[in-house]
Formats: sequence, C-alpha cells, structure tokens
Amino acid sequence: MARTRRLLSGAAKDAFLKRMLDAEPGLDDETRERLTRTLQSSIALVARRHGELPIQAPEEANTVLEEDSPSEAAEHDLAEAATVAPDVEPFDPYSPNVIVVFRTRGRDAALAELHTIEDVECLRLLAREQQLGIASDLADAADIRQAIVAAAERRIANRRAAAS
Amino acid sequence: MARFLAIANRKGGVGKSTIAVMLAHASAAWGKKRVLVVDLDTQCNASLMLIGGEGWDKARRAGRTISDYFYDRFDKVAEDESHYVAANIGDVAHPRAARGRVSLLPGSLMLEDVQGELYLKQAKRGSNPDKVAQDVRGRMMRLIKHFGHDFDYVILDCPPGLSFAALAAIDLADQVVVPFRPDYVSQFALDRVALLIERVETADQLAAVPFVDRRYICLPNYVTGKGRERLLIDQIALDHPLLQSRVPLLDSVARAFDWEESKKTMAEKYGDALPHLRALHDEVFGAATWLAKAG
Repeated sequence: MARTRRLLSGAAKDAFLKRMLDAEPGLDDETRERLTRTLQSSIALVARRHGELPIQAPEEANTVLEEDSPSEAAEHDLAEAATVAPDVEPFDPYSPNVIVVFRTRGRDAALAELHTIEDVECLRLLAREQQLGIASDLADAADIRQAIVAAAERRIANRRAAAS
Repeated sequence: MARFLAIANRKGGVGKSTIAVMLAHASAAWGKKRVLVVDLDTQCNASLMLIGGEGWDKARRAGRTISDYFYDRFDKVAEDESHYVAANIGDVAHPRAARGRVSLLPGSLMLEDVQGELYLKQAKRGSNPDKVAQDVRGRMMRLIKHFGHDFDYVILDCPPGLSFAALAAIDLADQVVVPFRPDYVSQFALDRVALLIERVETADQLAAVPFVDRRYICLPNYVTGKGRERLLIDQIALDHPLLQSRVPLLDSVARAFDWEESKKTMAEKYGDALPHLRALHDEVFGAATWLAKAG
C-alpha cells in the first residue's frame, strides 16, 4: 500500500528546528536565532526547488513531539522522516537533458519531452538549472517550452562556434 | 619500449598533475610497472608531490631537470638519460623485491625560457618560423622518447597551454588522458584539445573520427555529483570518449599530495579515494584497455 508523503513544515518544522538547536550546547541565543532563520529559509528554498508544497504535519504528531525532551523529539522526527516513503517523485530539473535530447533526437523530440512537464514553475526551474535562458515574462507553459528549446539550440550553436 | 601516456588539457586547474602522480603510484604498486613521470609543467607540481621541495631544489641545483636535459642535448652534451632521472621516488612504499617503481624527470621553472632560447637558436639558422617551431617540437619529442628504454610506462604531465613541450608530449603519446572539471568552460577546452590531439581543424572533421580510433579519452575529475555536472558530462559524452571512472572531489586526494618523507601504503596515502583510484587504474592500465591496445 502506498504511504502518504508528509513533510515537516510550518509550525511543526519551526518547533523541530528550535528543539534541535536547543539541544545543541554552546550556542548563544543570538546564534540560535540566526541559525533558525537560515535553516528555515534554506528548507523553504529546497522545497520550492523540488516543486514540493509543504504539508502541515498533523496536530497530534506535533503535540507528541512537544512533550518529548529536545533530543528525544529530534530522534523521533528523524526516525519518522526516515520511515515515510514518498508517493510522489520530486521534480528533477536535470531531466530531460534538453541539449542531449535535441542533439540526439532533434528539436521535436526535445519539445515532446518537455510536454511531460506541465507545471510552469517546474519548467522555469528546469530552464534555470540547465542554464537555458528564457524571458522572465513568459507565463504560458507552451511558450516556455518553446523558449527552452530555442535556448538549447543557441547554446549548441555557441559551443560549436568556439570549437573550430 | 615504454608506452607513453600524456595527461593533458590546455585548461589549467583540472588536476593533470594529481592524476599523473596517482596513475604513476597505482601502476607501480598494483601493476608492478616501472613508471617514469616526466614533469613538463613549469609549476612543477608533480615534482613537488613526488620528491618534495628539498628534493626538487636539490635536483635543479644539480642540473638534473627537464630543462637541463633539453639544454644539454641541444648543446650536444652527452650525459646519459639516467643522469637526469630521480629514481625510485615517491612516498608510497614498494616491497624491496617488487619490480614496480616510480621515477621522475623533475620539472623546471625555466622550461618556458629554455623553449624560447632553443627556438631562437634554431631560428638564427635562417629557416622560416613555422619550420623552426616544428623542428624544436620534433626534437623535443625525440629527446623525450629516449626515456622509453628503461621503463614500462612514461607518464607525461603536460603544462596548460600550448608550449613546444606540451605539443611534443601530445605528439609522442600513444594515448592521452584529458582530465576535466565538469563545468561550462571545460567543454570548450575539451573541444579544442581534441582537435589538437586528433590533428584535425574542425568539429566536423573530429566528429568523423570514431571514438574507438581516437587517441584520447576524457576523465571527469573533481566530481561532486551535482545535477549540473551530470548534465554537462552527458553533453560532453556526445562528442568525446569518456572513461567510466569518475574522480570525486575528496579531501583525501588533496591531502595525499602534501609531501611527507615517510613511506606509506597506498591505503594510507589515498584513504577513501583508494577505490576510485583502483577503478581508474584498472580502466587505464588493465589488460583489455585502450592503452594496452595502443601498444
């Protein structure tokens, strides 16, 4: 039976981070605050990059964790995270490798591969990670796909021009 | 006669010297081969890794470097090649009875100046500049080739750029390993060094040479496994033959080249990089590899 993916997020995530850092000896309040903020923004960035919408942890789990000691709670969270298997593959911005598809199977194949990605943000992320520059004002998925393929074509031409 | 393996890339900072020294150690320790490293890079990193600062200083004061060798030979000084070789060096312990050894023709800070001087000397004889350049390069190649008699492998650690010495080494090599960092500019560097090695002028001419017939093979080095690296490696693999081995970015590799006089085992020297080096060694020097076939 497929398990439900559950990401620690929102208040539960903040509480988890606080407990982790409280359990760390030798951190003053200012450092602890700074680390908490850095970790929060980093986790948010990673979640956004992977196209994951954080799902609020159930309240009951949150309550149980807050009753534990910091280190016990942290272990509880980590163990739980390890046993929860994802039912959705995170978006991989490196697949398809647009340049490789374009060069081996042609422009139409590259476009067809991109059609398997519907989400506009995922397309943007793919373009950014594959360094295929597209205009930031494009909003339509079809336009973005066309722009990605055009950028791949430019990149191939760019390399070829320098090669001889 | 030895097989000549050049470690080359016009681009600097791709790990040519570390790969050259790693392969030398591996071939001596595991393949039981007599290996000579010829340090053609004026940074002399391979020399420093193999004999340390004092050892290298001693070699240059004694006139036993690659520059001295070229100078003497162009001036027809008749020292035997072995005069210039630091024999059985490196900080890896080899059993006394074992045949495998690493030796070094030490590098020189002066090599670029020497090349200029040799060029000018030849030019005074009145030939056209291209012919003089070819003569110097050809003469260097033949001089390096003399070292092939006493070794199983001669590993040519090439400098970045296109000096006469680098070109001579590429001309002489049976095979060329081209280490690269998987980043944006590296693909341009690979494209250009490939033209040089295959002696063609355009990307189309290069594409017409089947991978199995190419004299070079590329090695992804300093690999971290990031997505962008995978993209680039896959893109590079469309145009250039690649080794299966990947050399990861590891502290243990960097630490391995802090010179220490005490001898170590390969495991002590290379730490967690050892399995990667083993795979690289087997792929480069194994019985069924391209280098073996090249012989």
